[in-house]
Amino acid sequence: MRRIFRKILGAGLLAGTLAGMIATPLLAQEKKASPDSTMPKVGEMAPDFKLHYFDGNDLKDLSLSDYRGKKNVVLAFFIFAFTGG
Amino acid sequence: MKNFQQNLKALEATDTQVLGVSMDSAFANKAFADQIGVTFPLLSDWGGKTTRQYGIYKDEYQAPRRVNFLIGKDGKILEEQVDKDAIDPKKIVDTCQRPKLKN
Repeated sequence: MRRIFRKILGAGLLAGTLAGMIATPLLAQEKKASPDSTMPKVGEMAPDFKLHYFDGNDLKDLSLSDYRGKKNVVLAFFIFAFTGG
Repeated sequence: MKNFQQNLKALEATDTQVLGVSMDSAFANKAFADQIGVTFPLLSDWGGKTTRQYGIYKDEYQAPRRVNFLIGKDGKILEEQVDKDAIDPKKIVDTCQRPKLKN
């Protein structure tokens, strides 16, 4: 009885280890690929947005579509306020 | 953002509006703009909806990656610069100065 139990335990451990070995690189790859795969590409329409900014007196709304047919727009995403770049 | 401020006149001369975007509050961004002398709007993407729409939310920082998009008057993306390449705006200024974009 003990022997059988040990065998089952051993097989379970082996299967678990193998599954882990296969799954780990797959998961890592998926995580690495995700930021770029969802970025809109050059030539595609830029997603519209409506965001706020504070002009010193009031909160103002601003949409990308406000500039359609009028101006080019540089959209510069930065990580945090009070950091370089 | 300072680098864009230094090139702002050249960009404005080509009909180009510069907009900064982060997930900070609008008020923090205004304080930041004042501190570093930025005169263009720094938009607040509180909650990160736009950052996610542009596919650049980074779990590691819980913030956007450093990315520039140059968007034409027709709303299409003309140029993208990611991470370290996004710090020097020269390429964007050059693209904007190409004759076809001036119209």
